[in-house]
Amino acid sequence: MQSTFSGIELGKRGILAHQQALQTTGHNLTNASSEGYSRQRVQLQATLPLYRPQLNRPERAGQVGQGVEVSRIERVRDELLDGRIITASGDKSYWETRDRYILQMEQVYNEVGDSSVRNLMDRFWDGWQELSLHPEQRASREAVLQRGGALVEGIQLRFKNLDRIRDMVEQEIRGNVEQANSLIRDIADLNREITNVKAAGDQPNDLLDRRDLLVDRLSQHMDITVDDRDPDEFSVYTAGFHIVQGRIARPFDVEANQQNEGFSDVTWRHNGERVQFRGGNLGALLELRDEDLRTEIQELDTMAVNVMDLVNEVHRDGYGINGRTGEDFFTEYPAILNAQGNYDRDQDGAVDSSYLFRVNGTNSLDLQAQIGLSGTMSLPAGSDIADGGILNLPYRAADTVEDVIARINNSGADVTARLNREGQLEFKGTTARDRSQPDFVLRHLEDSGQFLTGYAGILAESGPEGALRWDQPDAVLALRGETATRQGADFAVAPLMHPSGWMEVNPAVVREPASIASSFSVAGAPGETGDGRAALEIASIRNSAVGIGRADTLDDYFADTVARIGLKGEESEQALNTSERILKDLSDLRQSISGVNIDEELAEMIKFQHGYQAAARFISNIDQMLDTIINRMGV
Amino acid sequence: MDRISTNLPNDNMQFFLRERQKLMEQTQNQIASQSRIQNLRDDPLAASHATRYRSYTARLERFSDNIQTVQERNRIAEGYVQEATDLLQRARELAVQGAHGTYAPEDLEHMAVEVEQIIEHMVEIANARGSDGTTIFAGDRSQQLPFRALRGMRAGGEREMVTEVQYRGTINPQSAEIGENSYIQTNFVGNQVFWAENQQIQSRRDAGDYQVNQEGSFSIDGVEIQVREGDNAYSIIQKINQSGAPVRARLDPVYNSMVVESTSPHQVWMQDQPGSTVLEDLGLIGGGDGRAPENIAPSARRSGGSVFDALINLRDQLASGDQEAIGSRGIQAMDQSLDNMLTTLGRIGAVNSRLEGAFERTEMEIPEVIAQDSRNTDIDLAEAIMELRELESTHRAALGASARIMQPTLLDFLR
Repeated sequence: MQSTFSGIELGKRGILAHQQALQTTGHNLTNASSEGYSRQRVQLQATLPLYRPQLNRPERAGQVGQGVEVSRIERVRDELLDGRIITASGDKSYWETRDRYILQMEQVYNEVGDSSVRNLMDRFWDGWQELSLHPEQRASREAVLQRGGALVEGIQLRFKNLDRIRDMVEQEIRGNVEQANSLIRDIADLNREITNVKAAGDQPNDLLDRRDLLVDRLSQHMDITVDDRDPDEFSVYTAGFHIVQGRIARPFDVEANQQNEGFSDVTWRHNGERVQFRGGNLGALLELRDEDLRTEIQELDTMAVNVMDLVNEVHRDGYGINGRTGEDFFTEYPAILNAQGNYDRDQDGAVDSSYLFRVNGTNSLDLQAQIGLSGTMSLPAGSDIADGGILNLPYRAADTVEDVIARINNSGADVTARLNREGQLEFKGTTARDRSQPDFVLRHLEDSGQFLTGYAGILAESGPEGALRWDQPDAVLALRGETATRQGADFAVAPLMHPSGWMEVNPAVVREPASIASSFSVAGAPGETGDGRAALEIASIRNSAVGIGRADTLDDYFADTVARIGLKGEESEQALNTSERILKDLSDLRQSISGVNIDEELAEMIKFQHGYQAAARFISNIDQMLDTIINRMGV
Repeated sequence: MDRISTNLPNDNMQFFLRERQKLMEQTQNQIASQSRIQNLRDDPLAASHATRYRSYTARLERFSDNIQTVQERNRIAEGYVQEATDLLQRARELAVQGAHGTYAPEDLEHMAVEVEQIIEHMVEIANARGSDGTTIFAGDRSQQLPFRALRGMRAGGEREMVTEVQYRGTINPQSAEIGENSYIQTNFVGNQVFWAENQQIQSRRDAGDYQVNQEGSFSIDGVEIQVREGDNAYSIIQKINQSGAPVRARLDPVYNSMVVESTSPHQVWMQDQPGSTVLEDLGLIGGGDGRAPENIAPSARRSGGSVFDALINLRDQLASGDQEAIGSRGIQAMDQSLDNMLTTLGRIGAVNSRLEGAFERTEMEIPEVIAQDSRNTDIDLAEAIMELRELESTHRAALGASARIMQPTLLDFLR
């Protein structure tokens, strides 16, 4: 039997369902501009009809429809697209961060301009030229001094700027790790709530939207992947490890690393291991700090330390107009106050290593001479170039001295070689490729043959026993003619860290410009007032192949550094444009799927409104029917 | 795209307007600064070339300055050498007149007085200073006077006269860079310019069984010569002759002693390096701290003198009326002095023409390098303005189109 009032019930269901549908349309309309919102659709379906096949089923035609009901409210979203967007936004944020800082680094160069370090240095050499023409005049000495001071200031300023950028990057790393941690915790919290709602059988659409938004934001910080195969355990990974696993959050810590000038490493809080980010702004920031800015500062240090060493080498031999000699033009601060370069690296109270920056042979060589010897040299190198950090470089009897030097300089070893002004073979340490090793330290020098020993006069003995090694004290004893009492091959102790930060003109020279060397001695007597040979020789450093790190001349150095940072900038700008486009296309696609279209919603609204009106009309018709039965049948 | 969400056109409009504004800003900056490169990234390779060009330009300008300074010094030196030549010309005329045999001794005396004045004048010229206050003919001892005139009474003379002129300068060259790693000597050494004859220094010490007992070195005319233990006189002679110094060494057949002669008119400059006594042992120079050139051993015989020596001799010959000597040695010495002076003038001329060439080349290269730099980094203004105009009109169009995004919605048609 069917109830007399079932029509009202059916109508009521219709009203309620359409009301809910209208409500959702309103929800969509009002959230049209909310970030991360996906439009929702109400699924209407017919309620279960009467009757089900069972024993008490009335014997009549069926089934009778019972009206409409809301089966579920779902959000319109393409979850595969979400995965791609996460990757793309990590990419974009990587390039965005990188581009921003590379641009700042480019601006530090002040190139191509008149206030660049290059220009200051040109003026410095020009000062020496002037002094070579007018060695008698005080004015030309003042010019050298002032321009030397300006150069030092320029180099220091560039160092400070780079260092400041590095500090900014460090700050940003800390800030980003904090943000990422709070996102990770929020995602885990939302996971808990979402599972709870789902357990109750509901669709937590808005919570899902919010979680997707948080994942999007997290993907800007690092490279993440998302796994939602298990609906109860939504997981987020980075570098192959969980950061969120259901309701468990695995946040990061920052720890200062003394091996890296006190800059912080990002570590896992649960096991303290370092995290390697490959994307996102954390990936970019760590790379900027540890690679790009480190290289920039190292290059600047290389230039500073080599210019200091080259100028001082001549300056010490020269005589000032006051007859003084042996003065440095630039003050050199050694890394350690030990004449032999012995250093206690592990701070246990006993010296355990030797920090030598430069060694010279005792013999004068001729660049074009064939060496007539063969053997293998072992030189220090980054572990990415040679296994165990030792590069083996063969030389053959037919090689000239020039060939061997070129081979050393092109080998990628952490040393440079050249003939100094007395024609002696000179080795200098460069910046270290491996972060754990000190810059400007000659770490290894060994020769299986006689080139470095008898021919160049650097080492005392061939073979591994005669090697100069930095990881033992008194390495200088391996040098030719060096004994505890007598000094043999000349050497210099490694400079203090970051020479570009402390470089200065020797205060003794500043106080007494007459000490600026312009002349060389003649037959043991101080040079004459009109002798400008020393000044001319210093000026010639400008355009000679003196070896500034891996660049041959200063011209090469400046051109290389400018090209390097410029190319990095160009690359990051292009990559940023590309990744922006990709992300935009993907977001447009997502907008096209999940975004709200007002016209569409209005049309839906009209539809549901009419549905509502129709249901209401149906109720009022049933009402009239009931009125007929109840009131008009008149008993 | 199947479906357009209401926000999409708006987002797109913002995105593209932002991009275009960035481009416009960039072009505007390029025009304002006249440089294509605002940041290194705009063209890293051009910027890298530009650093080379600019440094090179600065260097070329320095070379150009150096050349001009040297040219100016040469002009001044040339003037003085020319003046010295004129003086010698006059002295030679006097010598020729004096050798005539038709002049009375009093006339010769008057000539002697004139030669004395010429000597004084010559000393002044030799001690001349350039525009920057440094002496021109002093080697690199450029603040001291290079020639010192010793005065004294001559037999028969009633006034104090110049009896000897000593060179106090050095023989060290000064040089300047006039091109990449190309140097030129900028000074004229006095004991070369004012020298008349080849000098010969003859030791009187037998060098037959001399042997060097200790490794050391000495220098002749600024060229350092190394000797080893066991070297004898012959090997030392060989080393000197092969050293490139403008001298020749030999053994005197009579005294079996060392003789050093200059191969061109100049004063031979010999010095033992500290710790070595080879030249002293050979009897060429005296011991002690004697500074070259006044360190020749007292026992050694010295011949071949300066322009001053020649003039002093001529004056003395005129004063004493020795017409025969005037006619032979006097005139010959004047001729040699003149000859050397003219050689110096010729050398200055040659140097000047080299400098002239270098200057022209440098001055031509500077604008070329600047032009290269400009091609690299400067903007093509016409192109940039065109680009800006283009961007402007597209921007205008884009803004116009954006306004149409606010199209009527269904809302407008609902009651």
